[in-house]
Amino acid sequence: MENDLSRSEPQLRRLHEMEQAFAALAPDIKESPEKRAISLLHGMVQELWRNLRQSQPPVPGGGPTLQDVADLHQHAPKMEGPALNAPLPVGVPAPDFALPDAQGRIHRLSDFRGKPTVLAFYPLDWSPGCSRQLDLYQQELDEFIRRGVNLVGISADSVYSHGAWATVRGITFPLLADFHPKGEVAKRYRVWREPDGFSERALYVLDGQGMIRHAHVSPQLHHVPDIYELFAVLDDVAKQKAA
Amino acid sequence: MLGTIYGAPARPVGLRTGPVVVYGNRWCGITMMVRRYLDRAGVPYQFVDLETHPEVRQQLEWVTGGYVASPTVYVGGEVLVQPSISELEWALSRSGVR
Repeated sequence: MENDLSRSEPQLRRLHEMEQAFAALAPDIKESPEKRAISLLHGMVQELWRNLRQSQPPVPGGGPTLQDVADLHQHAPKMEGPALNAPLPVGVPAPDFALPDAQGRIHRLSDFRGKPTVLAFYPLDWSPGCSRQLDLYQQELDEFIRRGVNLVGISADSVYSHGAWATVRGITFPLLADFHPKGEVAKRYRVWREPDGFSERALYVLDGQGMIRHAHVSPQLHHVPDIYELFAVLDDVAKQKAA
Repeated sequence: MLGTIYGAPARPVGLRTGPVVVYGNRWCGITMMVRRYLDRAGVPYQFVDLETHPEVRQQLEWVTGGYVASPTVYVGGEVLVQPSISELEWALSRSGVR
């Protein structure tokens, strides 16, 4: 697929070629303020081009938009740190729970029997990594549905926070509030970070009988579990069921 | 998955060899969103893991003015740092890749 831009307009092909030529020049220029300045100028051109396309007329009356709120996580304080817990072992029954979603409906583990279930423990609504992780799951929701999988998010936030956050982000799968007693379910699943007051970023995959078939705690809080690995695990669980 | 993966540290990679290249971390949510979008759209791309290929960081700094973030996506002449999916769609459309 080398330079497969045959369908693009001539000026875009030129842009591609100029970009390649620009990139190739880097090793020929000694590290210097001048090199830094050229690099900055190139970066500015790219960003200006990008911002030009994105620019919108100001909202009448000003004030933050819903998108501004959705994007708050991009500038929020970082959430980082190594994992403090090891998950429950594979092959044991998943601990039961009964937690409310944003509408106040109670979800019990037993409600999910008969289909594989992904329990996605995440630290907090509104935080950087969590926003990206759940955006990813929402983008991929059809893949979960196609595999016949229940998907739920669990954090120590309240039902009201879940409701606002899900609305802003367009999240349609259930978010369960492990709010009171705080983190009780996360503790049962051994993913509670006592010093922080929130859970690890952790995944449990349960089979239709409620047995743990996969357990993962992110080694770093800001690491989102690999979605390709998760889909492979879900496919394996489906194969085991078929066999 | 349609993307070619450059993840093995033994194989050095250049800055780019095709019209669409995703430079990012495997654990990065935005990177996975971008890769999954490209998978679903049937757009061939290369994925370069920044952790196993730290040598590309210097080159990325050159083209981004030093503002490297995961993912940095190259689409036919445009360098997009942490693009939204709509930005990516736009760039793919302009470049004729999609």
